[in-house]
Amino acid sequence: MVKAPSSNFQTPGKHQSPRSQGFPKVPFGNWNLGLLWGLELGIWCFFYGLLIPTAQAQSTPVPPQQDPLMSLMLSQPKIEITTNVTAVASFDPPIVSPGEQTIYRVTFNALEETVDWPGRLSVPPELQTEPGAHGQIIPMLGPAQVPFTTFNTRVRASASGDFTIPEFKVQAYGSQVTVPAAQLKVVSTPPKPPSPVLHLALEFAETNLFVGQPIRARASLPGSAGVFSQGLPPVQFTGQGVLVDQAAASQMVTVTSHEGMNMPTYMFQTIVTPIEGGKLSVFAQCFTGNRFSGSLVITGPAMIPAPPPPFTLLESDPVTLHVRPLPKEGELPGFTGGIGSFSLEPPKLATNELIVGEPVKLAVAIRGDANVARLVAPVPPRIREWQILESTPAGGITQLTPTGTISIFQYTLVPLTDDVHETPAIPFSSFDPTRSNYVDLTIPSVQVTVHAGQIPGDFATLVKTNASARDEDEPVLSGLAPDPGWTGALLPLQTSPWFPVVQLIPASAFLGLWSWDRRRRYFEQHPDVLLRRRARRALHRERRALCRAARDKDAARFAGAAVSAMRVACAPHYPAEPRALVGSDILHVLGASGDAEVVRRFFTVRDASQFAAASADTSSLLTLQPELEKVLKQLESRL
Amino acid sequence: MRFALLLGFWILGYGPVVAGEISLAASPSELFQDGTTAFRANDYVSAIKAYRQSAAIQPASGTLQDLGLAEWHRGHAGAAVLCWEQSLWLEPFNVSARGNLRYARKVAQLEAPELTWYEVVSTWLPANSWAWIAGISFWVAVAMVMLPAIFRQPKAAWHQALAALGLTIFLLSIPAHIGVHTRSRIGFVQQKDTPLRLTPTHEAQFVTRLSAGEPARLERQRGNFLLIRTNRSAGWVERDQFALVCRIQSPPT
Repeated sequence: MVKAPSSNFQTPGKHQSPRSQGFPKVPFGNWNLGLLWGLELGIWCFFYGLLIPTAQAQSTPVPPQQDPLMSLMLSQPKIEITTNVTAVASFDPPIVSPGEQTIYRVTFNALEETVDWPGRLSVPPELQTEPGAHGQIIPMLGPAQVPFTTFNTRVRASASGDFTIPEFKVQAYGSQVTVPAAQLKVVSTPPKPPSPVLHLALEFAETNLFVGQPIRARASLPGSAGVFSQGLPPVQFTGQGVLVDQAAASQMVTVTSHEGMNMPTYMFQTIVTPIEGGKLSVFAQCFTGNRFSGSLVITGPAMIPAPPPPFTLLESDPVTLHVRPLPKEGELPGFTGGIGSFSLEPPKLATNELIVGEPVKLAVAIRGDANVARLVAPVPPRIREWQILESTPAGGITQLTPTGTISIFQYTLVPLTDDVHETPAIPFSSFDPTRSNYVDLTIPSVQVTVHAGQIPGDFATLVKTNASARDEDEPVLSGLAPDPGWTGALLPLQTSPWFPVVQLIPASAFLGLWSWDRRRRYFEQHPDVLLRRRARRALHRERRALCRAARDKDAARFAGAAVSAMRVACAPHYPAEPRALVGSDILHVLGASGDAEVVRRFFTVRDASQFAAASADTSSLLTLQPELEKVLKQLESRL
Repeated sequence: MRFALLLGFWILGYGPVVAGEISLAASPSELFQDGTTAFRANDYVSAIKAYRQSAAIQPASGTLQDLGLAEWHRGHAGAAVLCWEQSLWLEPFNVSARGNLRYARKVAQLEAPELTWYEVVSTWLPANSWAWIAGISFWVAVAMVMLPAIFRQPKAAWHQALAALGLTIFLLSIPAHIGVHTRSRIGFVQQKDTPLRLTPTHEAQFVTRLSAGEPARLERQRGNFLLIRTNRSAGWVERDQFALVCRIQSPPT
């Protein structure tokens, strides 16, 4: 008897044991081993007590209603995390030639998050290791779900020989788990394995791509009709900087020829989109279920205990994608990120006879490769004469036709005036990766005739909204500035120490000018002060000349300097030109207290040297220097 | 002795090499071009480095605009907003930087700083131009009052008109001058989910968390913490989580 699997679970009411007395005893019959061997598509657990509709339960009082969420939680099968964690380590294949890759695979019966896998393994120096795939599955084994976590390490041996990765300890569930030693044999000519080795292969339609360019990826697994799936995609693509389109995934099983043998091959394909530039490494990984080769015949009742974990984490060789950024140069208006080869069909308007304020649908079909389904409709321009509502949905409506895939954008246009004769063109462009340039796909205008008609009640609001929407343009990021532009300091000038100093310059200049003006006006009002000041300066000058002449024993020059000094010292008192003064003028200023003899003597000698025919004797004048100094001091004191 | 050693190094050729490197590294326009090239190649890390060095040597509106773009593409909204605000500080007529700020604030749901009327006035011209305007107009007014008398020129009508104009401009620029001073205390949160603390300690209770690019005014400092006031609350943040608009960040080491 085959019992249909069910996930229904009878929750115990009050103190009722799950194994209630109401269960009928069913004799053990023949089991369909297909259930157990169906691990490749998951294990269905036959839970005995769940399938029996108990008549007795109907007779008992209705238990109180339980919270549906609580019931749902209680009905979930238990995840087995209490058993002792064990690890299984092996090489796949265990015998390789030098330089050939083998996978060092370690599987734990624990959740992946709890396993503290070391980043670096202690391996013999002849082995080069590289971290590979890792993942977990939680299949149903018996009444509970048992987690299995696998860590792959890609290993290549540089020399022949027997190599052992010794046992080591790993933390799982907070306790130490011993990973047993695994042996690898490296020989120049490895023997052919008895059964074909499962090898997951990954292919990309193209590996030189642009950022955002969707590309079809296919993973194939010869020798298997399927892989283990548990809600997630059966094959996962692992790599930094790529986006995997789960909705575009498809899988099938075909018969292919592999090493001269026809065998079923599981194929999984989807769309991968690189979202970063540079070299991106991607590989595929999947868990395979239990598999048998050959036939198995069992007669009579038999029970086969559950085999050890049969799940194997396979991985493909990594594929390197060379991804370039889209060029900024040549980008056309209306580019919404569409990458591929597309063509635009003529736009279709629902009617060419329009009425002001009445909406009309504009449909535009874009034809192209599979990427056309990912096209985003361009944002329509904002113009005063039309109100254009953006295409809904933004990605367009995708249709599969016998001639290819098309995506249809639908815009709603409302004419706001009867002066227009055509719909506005909507800028649109795409990037063609094969030609590495942008292609103009601008939606062209359509000739229309707009009638005034009856103006709808909310027309004024419509026009106003359109105008305001135009004024408040959607902000967008600008391009790069072509040059550094205006320069300056980011600190406020008034906080800079030099700014007050700069302000002192005009302040000092104006202060100087003001002082000069004041002084000038003072001297204009008091000219005698200026004359006396000049006389003092001239007297000092003449006294210095006097001293020089005395030092040089030049009596004639000494006499001239002495007369000049006395004249300049007396000139402000008259006032008069110093050269016009004679000895009596000097004596008048000196008065009775002065040494009149010295003054007369100097003027006599000076006049004689200037006006007499014979030269005067000036040699004795040098001896009169102390007396002369006394006279000059008296004159200076009166200035 | 030291001078002789330095001269010896220079003669041996080390000096010209060093001078050449410095002159190469110290050219803001070359660094700007390097940043632009890296930006176009989508190498935003190198672009940020080059732009930041260029702006550290000579702050320029275009350099800061491009630096903001590179920071935005790297996902650093706080740094991008700061760079664009600094660009507007230098050149209020930079439409691109203004548009970028609008875009960033719309996308990141950020607020613009709330400005008083005199701060709004101060944004009409480059921030540092107000100081020059105030200084020049004041001294022109002083000159028109003093110089005719000093040089014994008869007071003409245009002397008085110019003096009145200078004094008017000076008086009108004072609010803008004050606005520049108060705007210099405005800054922007640099890190995402920056905690606003009740007290300037690491163990302090969090008042709220601030988004990168959120505006705030610096009130005072204590140790490694800054007291800032946002549009809604006030609290302490760490010094490296907040940057003033009028102080450029040092280039990365």
